[in-house]
Amino acid sequence: MKKELIELRVNGLTHELAIEPSALLLDVLRRDLDLTGSKRGCDDSSCGACTVLVDGTPMLACTLLAFSCEGQEITTVEGISEHGSLAAIQKAYGDWGGAQCGYCTPGFMITVKHLLTVNPDPTEEEIRSALSGNLCRCTGYTQMYAAIKAAIEAEKKGMATLK
Amino acid sequence: MSLPGFKLLRPRTTAEAIALLAQHAGNIRILAGGTDLLPSMQQKLFAPQYLLDLRRIAELKGIRRQRDGAVDIGAVEIGALTALTDIEHSDLLRRHFSVLPDAAKTIASPVLRNMGTIGGNICLDTRCLWYNQSLQWRKSCGFCIKKDGDLCHVAPGGTKCWAAFSGDTPAALLCLDAEIEIASAAGIRRVKLAEFYTGLGDNYRKLAADELLTRVFLPASSAGHRGVYRKLRVRGSIDYPLAGVAVVLKQSNGHIEDVRVALTAVNPAPVLVKGATELLAGRRMTEEWAEAAGVLAAQTAKPLTTSALTPEYRREMIRVFTKHAVFSLATET
Amino acid sequence: MTNDYSIIGKSIAMIDAAGKTTGSGKYTDDLSLPGMLYGKILHSPHPHARIKSIDTSRAERLDGVVAVITGKDAPNPFGILPVGHDEHALALEKVRYVGDNVACVAAVSEAIAEKALEMIAVDYELLPAYFDPEESMKTETNLIHDNKPNNLEKDYHHVFGDPEKAFAEADYIAEGRFLANEVSHAAMEPHCTLASFELDPHTGTLGRLTVWSSTQVPYYLQHKLALVLEMPMSQIRVIKPLVGGGFGGKSEVIPIEIIAGIAARAAQKPVKITYTREEVFWAHRGRPRTIVDLKTAVKNDGIITAVKARVVQDGGAYCSYGVVTILYSGALLGALYDIPNIQYDGYRVLTNKPACGAMRGHGTVNVRFAFESQLDEIAAKLKMDPAEIRRRNLLKPPCITINGLRVQSYGLPECIDQIVTRSRWNERKGKLPRGRGLGIACSHYVSGAANSIIRSDMPHSTVNIKIDRDGGVVIYTGASDIGQGSDTMVAQVAAETLGCTLSRVKVVAADTDLTPIDIGSYSSRVTFMNGNATLRAAQEVKKQIAAAAAKKMNCVPEEILFRNDRLTCGDGSLTRPSLTRPGGAEIRSESATVSGRVEGQILRGSLQQKRKEEGPKDSMTFEEAVVAAIDFHGALSGTGSYAPPPEARGGKHKGAGVGPSPAYSYSAQVAEVSVDEDTGQVTVHKVWAAHDCGRALNPVSVEGQVIGSVWMGMGQALTEEMIWKDGLLMNPGLLEYRSPSSVESPEVEAIIVESIDPEGPFGAKEASEGSLAATIPAIANAIYDAVGIRLRESPFTPERVLAALRAKRSAKPLNLTEGVDPTAPTKFREHGGELCFKGKGPKRHEFDPARQPAHPGGAD
Repeated sequence: MKKELIELRVNGLTHELAIEPSALLLDVLRRDLDLTGSKRGCDDSSCGACTVLVDGTPMLACTLLAFSCEGQEITTVEGISEHGSLAAIQKAYGDWGGAQCGYCTPGFMITVKHLLTVNPDPTEEEIRSALSGNLCRCTGYTQMYAAIKAAIEAEKKGMATLK
Repeated sequence: MSLPGFKLLRPRTTAEAIALLAQHAGNIRILAGGTDLLPSMQQKLFAPQYLLDLRRIAELKGIRRQRDGAVDIGAVEIGALTALTDIEHSDLLRRHFSVLPDAAKTIASPVLRNMGTIGGNICLDTRCLWYNQSLQWRKSCGFCIKKDGDLCHVAPGGTKCWAAFSGDTPAALLCLDAEIEIASAAGIRRVKLAEFYTGLGDNYRKLAADELLTRVFLPASSAGHRGVYRKLRVRGSIDYPLAGVAVVLKQSNGHIEDVRVALTAVNPAPVLVKGATELLAGRRMTEEWAEAAGVLAAQTAKPLTTSALTPEYRREMIRVFTKHAVFSLATET
Repeated sequence: MTNDYSIIGKSIAMIDAAGKTTGSGKYTDDLSLPGMLYGKILHSPHPHARIKSIDTSRAERLDGVVAVITGKDAPNPFGILPVGHDEHALALEKVRYVGDNVACVAAVSEAIAEKALEMIAVDYELLPAYFDPEESMKTETNLIHDNKPNNLEKDYHHVFGDPEKAFAEADYIAEGRFLANEVSHAAMEPHCTLASFELDPHTGTLGRLTVWSSTQVPYYLQHKLALVLEMPMSQIRVIKPLVGGGFGGKSEVIPIEIIAGIAARAAQKPVKITYTREEVFWAHRGRPRTIVDLKTAVKNDGIITAVKARVVQDGGAYCSYGVVTILYSGALLGALYDIPNIQYDGYRVLTNKPACGAMRGHGTVNVRFAFESQLDEIAAKLKMDPAEIRRRNLLKPPCITINGLRVQSYGLPECIDQIVTRSRWNERKGKLPRGRGLGIACSHYVSGAANSIIRSDMPHSTVNIKIDRDGGVVIYTGASDIGQGSDTMVAQVAAETLGCTLSRVKVVAADTDLTPIDIGSYSSRVTFMNGNATLRAAQEVKKQIAAAAAKKMNCVPEEILFRNDRLTCGDGSLTRPSLTRPGGAEIRSESATVSGRVEGQILRGSLQQKRKEEGPKDSMTFEEAVVAAIDFHGALSGTGSYAPPPEARGGKHKGAGVGPSPAYSYSAQVAEVSVDEDTGQVTVHKVWAAHDCGRALNPVSVEGQVIGSVWMGMGQALTEEMIWKDGLLMNPGLLEYRSPSSVESPEVEAIIVESIDPEGPFGAKEASEGSLAATIPAIANAIYDAVGIRLRESPFTPERVLAALRAKRSAKPLNLTEGVDPTAPTKFREHGGELCFKGKGPKRHEFDPARQPAHPGGAD
């Protein structure tokens, strides 16, 4: 199929791209925009490694056509660090062992970021439930919960100093 | 695995969508959430010339009370493109049609519920381990009757496809006596969801090539039933159902007035268990009657080796889940 | 446990953590090169067939296709073991499993490559295929490999002590058959390889090859590439970028890695191949499904007197690590408990299925499931506490087991004590409400195989350290970090030894051009062996720095304390040594000369110049000391290497090379489960896992490894199973191969036990494999405690659990498990039970070659 022009907004920047209508968002992010943070781990929309935010909602970039996202704001893992430094959740994942091989981590970063946006103080059960669309094969998830709790604490402290 | 090439059509209105469907009928497939279609297309199960992307049609989204003038008539309509997450979290549905959000919250995983739609869940392709595989894999088994072949590996010698309907919400919707609205260039028709499915694994739904599912209606008569959905799966997330039971129930003065039981993932269509109301209406719930309802449901289930876990186990779970569901709905306060 | 280290023993983030959490870290599939092509592989649709012909001409003519390769393009056989060179990158004469590699297309896009695959016509002659290992062992014709009679890859028959006598004198003998179904690594990153040739600057022909690959074994990959491509090893550079999990699935050379090299050579362009998830399952190398016939003899006091095990492994179509796997299954019957008499009969069988290989807990897991389950049965029979029976059979190290394994550090007793206390075992075991139970089990694993795959006296690990004037410490290590944190481990070991901050340390790892040989990340060898090599390299550099610093500070080098980025002479209480070296001043002026001659111009006004004017002092910064040492030595580098000591390399019997290790890790676990008696669903609520890792170099990382290991064991115990039908894998995806999600994953409490191994770096041993094996029997034993059923087939799926429950209460039998009794299984079940039906072969698909025009000149 012939390529067509598309304007895609990713991490706050608008990109004009020529892509095939059948191109998946994940391939466009990785190949056309060199945003390789989002990963492909499966072929049946089951693993969550490619999770990105589309207008603030987590979605699988491997199961979206890039063209379907025209006019929407896409945020990838590369777009969630704050002010050039690690967001609290990214730092906590490192400190608490939330990431081992790291391949699933970008997907988790997006999922956790969204969780804390809609529910700043989740219970452990809510965390488990929110994370259940992202598979990890290294950690057994346990250390992620500690990381998320630590990130929440850090955020609270940060807020306290601002006040 | 790459997608086969196609032309993407992105209408902004239902009318536009219907016109495009009429224009390309037979060479077009409808893309809503994409969570079923796009993986299937990568497996080369479909290679349409056109893909009709509904994502931009705002009028197909949303959960609304139906009104007659200014009067709330107790019924609800749901746009076919409403995300499953929105069904799951809808206060309106939770209050009046709780079995539906109860089923919706079990679908796949949170991120897939953000993408998947109620219309897509109703129209979900039937599934089978011999069918939902890559082209390369399917070649290895000589293909199957549902796609590219003339054999069934599940019921050898048969000419019928037994792929299992594996949506969760249709079981709930059947219990709620839901209707769906189907639009085409020829006009709009409204059918009971129970009549939408054929019971065949391959040609599993009655939706013509130029038709679009646009809305789902929940009647006032089903509002206020207590309901529950029980799903058999191996993991607590991600998995399609291996068996599913939806039950709604209404009592008065401690006696059962109305009970509906519907099954999914154990037949080529979601099915209402016939005779459940007749069995239980007017009775006071006991373990024995719950057991009888379970046995009746299990008789309706016809699971085959289309998925993981043995058919006999899946049928047994239909019995167990139904028994527990009717008993707890009738006895818990 | 407290220690006086400043970096070792402290929980720190992995040094590459930020790259992972920000998405900036690069895995192989994240790389691309100008002009790069995409490779796609054609796989066999048949489990066993002879290739009569392959016609690639139509595929070659497709626009966008640059090269199509088949087995003839690189026919040399290879395999990870020297005794198992039975694989070809692409099939030569035969295909041996559904998914076997037949041809590869390199094209400008994946879509074009996929389209071209459909245009390759392969004519097969079908052969009888073998799927059940015990059936396969009986066959004499149509062998999978002509040189392997009865499709037997290898069998071993070991007798240690006098088992017959012990069984004759036993008070009680337990006997049973256990089945463990097949599982796979399912690392989140699918295998990927990018291969690129440079043009030779002299001849203009293809010169050196660089391969980036998701591998645990860059050195072996370099070796096998050289073998198959017929190139000198020195002309091949293997680079391991970040690897998204291995678990053994990337611990040998996978066909994709060679195919990419062949394709790049044929296309004369860089070629990248990334497996689909389905291809990952076909490449497999996972844990073979295993039959364990186990017999244990005990005395009435619970003392084990003999064990007899017959193990049959369904190895799939190629050797892979199979010979090692079947040996581990027997060898590691020893070294956990004191077992004086052992008989072992192991059979590694070939079948027409994807090759099995090494997976976390290699060879030990399924036998441990059987053993620890049977030990639980024995405890019940003897009315003995299951924790107590384990305590009664402990080894008394230091010792050498009956099968020749040397055991030194042995934290198992403390592991058992810890979990018994933490789980409140004594108060709660047997006293929980119906349907809820506790189970205990133990396991162990090697801290590196004492003998390398390719037998030689070569060190198993070598590490170089370079320190330059910038004060940066660069470690060159061949260790392959696959997410377990080996880069961080070497940085910690070096920084601790040199007393510098971790931020000074940069790790250059796993690049065969830059880093000295390390044989790879497998057999849990990296911390022990590469850690020791790093320690030695760092000590060597430290010695050089100390020598120079001693002159500056006018003290003896041995008294200098390296810590917190400072060198301090003595501990402050020491007086300045009386040692006055007459040449001291001279040497200082000599070093000034060196410095002045070489770098006088640029160094004017620098630290060094200033320092020269100062007299001796009590302490120096690390940077000052480094500069002094460079001034003194001219260059600052150190090399360390490690090879296991001869006394740890095992006995002399055939197969004695597998099992010995310089040290063993130990684990004891208690699992708490509940069983729904209506549905058979098992819920694991919590696992207490105590792991003896020698010393925890980085506790948060050790805990992560232990938790991950336990969790993966739980997956094998409850949800994971490769489902087969006539050699077809029915669940080749993460949707149907059920790696647990967060919802059903239990809390795992990791408890670190430090036995301080005498030979490990800072006393450390392995942490990431030894815990897996105990989890499966701990869960099985907990199910027994909860509802009184003994499951002898894993995984304990709800259908199996329910079938056992119904049988126990003599309920009306339902055919829940299609004829296989999960409490007394005899053979593996095919998907759909005994239903035997095969398709007639490809027929209708539009891409089917049979439908294409017969004449090859058809329009494409």
